[in-house]
Amino acid sequence: MKLSIRHETTYSYDNEVRNSIQYLRLTPQESERQHVISWELGLPRPARAQVDPYGNILHVLTMEEPHASIVISANGQVEIDDSREVEHDGHEVLPYLRFTRLTQADDALRAFAHEQCRERRDRNGLIDLMHGLADHMTYLPGSTGVESTAAEAFAGGAGVCQDHTHAFLACSRTLGLPARYVSGYLLTEDSAHLASHAWAEVWLADGWYSFDVSNRLARPERHLKLAVGLDYLDACPVRGVRRGGGCEQMHARVQVQQ
Amino acid sequence: MTRTFYDEMYDAQGVCRPHYHGFASWLAQTPPEQLAQRRREADLLFHRAGITFTLYGDEEGTERLIPFDTIPRSIPLSEWRMVERGCIQRVKALNLFLDDLYHGQRILKAGIIPREQVLANECYQLAMQGLDLHRGIYAHIAGVDLVRDGDGTYYVLEDNLRTPSGVSYMLEDRKMMMRLFPELFAAQRVAPIDHYPNLLLSTLKSASPVDNPNVVVLTPGRFNSAYFEHAFLAREMGVELVEGADLFVRDEHVFMRTTAGPRPVDVIYRRLDDAYLDPLAFNPDSMLGVPGLLSAYRSGNVVLANAIGTGVADDKSIYPYVTDMIRFYLDEEPILRNVPTWQCRNPAELSHVLANLEQLVVKETQGSGGYGMLVGPASSKAQIEAFRARLQANPGAYIAQPTLSLSTCPTFVESGVAPRHIDLRPFVLTGEETRLVPGGLTRVALREGSLVVNSSQGGGTKDTWVVED
Repeated sequence: MKLSIRHETTYSYDNEVRNSIQYLRLTPQESERQHVISWELGLPRPARAQVDPYGNILHVLTMEEPHASIVISANGQVEIDDSREVEHDGHEVLPYLRFTRLTQADDALRAFAHEQCRERRDRNGLIDLMHGLADHMTYLPGSTGVESTAAEAFAGGAGVCQDHTHAFLACSRTLGLPARYVSGYLLTEDSAHLASHAWAEVWLADGWYSFDVSNRLARPERHLKLAVGLDYLDACPVRGVRRGGGCEQMHARVQVQQ
Repeated sequence: MTRTFYDEMYDAQGVCRPHYHGFASWLAQTPPEQLAQRRREADLLFHRAGITFTLYGDEEGTERLIPFDTIPRSIPLSEWRMVERGCIQRVKALNLFLDDLYHGQRILKAGIIPREQVLANECYQLAMQGLDLHRGIYAHIAGVDLVRDGDGTYYVLEDNLRTPSGVSYMLEDRKMMMRLFPELFAAQRVAPIDHYPNLLLSTLKSASPVDNPNVVVLTPGRFNSAYFEHAFLAREMGVELVEGADLFVRDEHVFMRTTAGPRPVDVIYRRLDDAYLDPLAFNPDSMLGVPGLLSAYRSGNVVLANAIGTGVADDKSIYPYVTDMIRFYLDEEPILRNVPTWQCRNPAELSHVLANLEQLVVKETQGSGGYGMLVGPASSKAQIEAFRARLQANPGAYIAQPTLSLSTCPTFVESGVAPRHIDLRPFVLTGEETRLVPGGLTRVALREGSLVVNSSQGGGTKDTWVVED
């Protein structure tokens, strides 16, 4: 399956920004599952690619001149092998046992993980966990913020794909299974309304297995992977800081076509 | 339970040890009023010099003077040579361990340290995996904490490889002693330490592949407890003291904002923890660091001293393996001993610890500064029971050690001169070679019977002498 992506994000500010710097994880990598036919980033200034600590392709965009807006675009075509379920990438697995502030399990999440999986530490156990979380946490945009933790979202019983993924990571790590955050794109029927997506991968003896809680999918289908990390903060497509500018409006458009 | 302590000045029969003869006869001849007068002068001078310490956990953020005791801690040269060799051996092995851990992981493959204990440790930094550092040095500056048990044997209590502090007290204590009691230094040869700032600067410069690199000291700012030391070291080395906002990153290079325009920065002696270095890569809420710094570091365009991720080697759960590291990497027997350590993460060791809490010291694996610890013999039943509950709730976060008696040194207290417990922190610098200045920082627990020497817990300092036997 061939996917065409057009992703444009516009940041506009009330006042001029004096300077800004962004870490961009907007470039997919070659893997067993995806072959990058073409990919191009449109940036206001050239930025060199480097590999980040999690093995992702990172661009660092530094803007030293005053600016009122930034437009970042990513366009390309990727061939997906949708028959492949399991992935391997040669990176260290054990660090993904570690909890972070956003993925810390509280008593409620720990109890939930054990209740769903009991003694099982296999794919079937995790599939039940995935459905359990999707039942417990209604998909509800606006119910949480980017800084919400897994425990907060779980306690509130609602969230978006980021919260679903964080809660799933908290539970998996509680069970002693290395698990990581994945950010990327997903092709759906109503693609016009979908922004970037997030899901989880868990290491089960022989490879990384995907679990998309928001879509109740226990295998990647029309998923295109951009970056992985311990949580949202490591893997999110854009993370930046700026001096000046006042309030920010962000406008993102993602088009995914088959 | 009676304990016997090793006293630095007097032997078990109360006879003055040879290396203290000079000092003891001076002390006997000097009128007490004169000594009291000099001690008041010392207090005044320290206040003027601004050597204060902000107390954490104190709501008012009180700046407090670290008490300075005018009776020096003295070490005979032959003994110091052993301590020095031991510290060098240890820091070499720890640097080799870090280089191995972030590259081939031979020591994990050999099964000497369990993989999960290292790789799932939060101080293990994925950002360092596969990154080549100039000379392969991670801990350019280390502070090795030593104590002496009842028979005078030295033990390493911990290896501080992140941002060890206290060296400014070592230097200022010596300046103070020379100013107050010049006659003491005329009468005997005390090994000098005033070249430390030069050694530190040459260590930092040699960490960079650049010729004559631009070195800066990065401080979290004046609200940090060790701000005085950051400013002091920058001044002594003749380099800029900067805060995060004074630096910026452009195209993976670090620059300092100056009135004459941006100036490239090659080496950052950072006194800021890993988590605060770069808000785009670590803690996003911290404004103390430099956005983009990690990208510059990983591109090899700037040196951080110490490197990121050294904490995995001085973590208290890794400490028990340091003697194995020395054997593994250097093929040598350890010169300095480790304190026997029980890892509460192992159920059998935990039950031993729980059954013997009254006799043990229990510490958090991630803690420092003496805040999250239990000193069993010095604690009440209620304190022990409260700690037991914390330990049982999260055993993996704790280790336990026997309570060492800690040597004592005569110290001025309200009632006159009395023995108080001390430790020793030599500062170990690694550049082209691994070096120390003679001695280090001696901390003294001023409360009678107390074994906690941390300045945050009422500890003071003493000048540390290395003298010919």
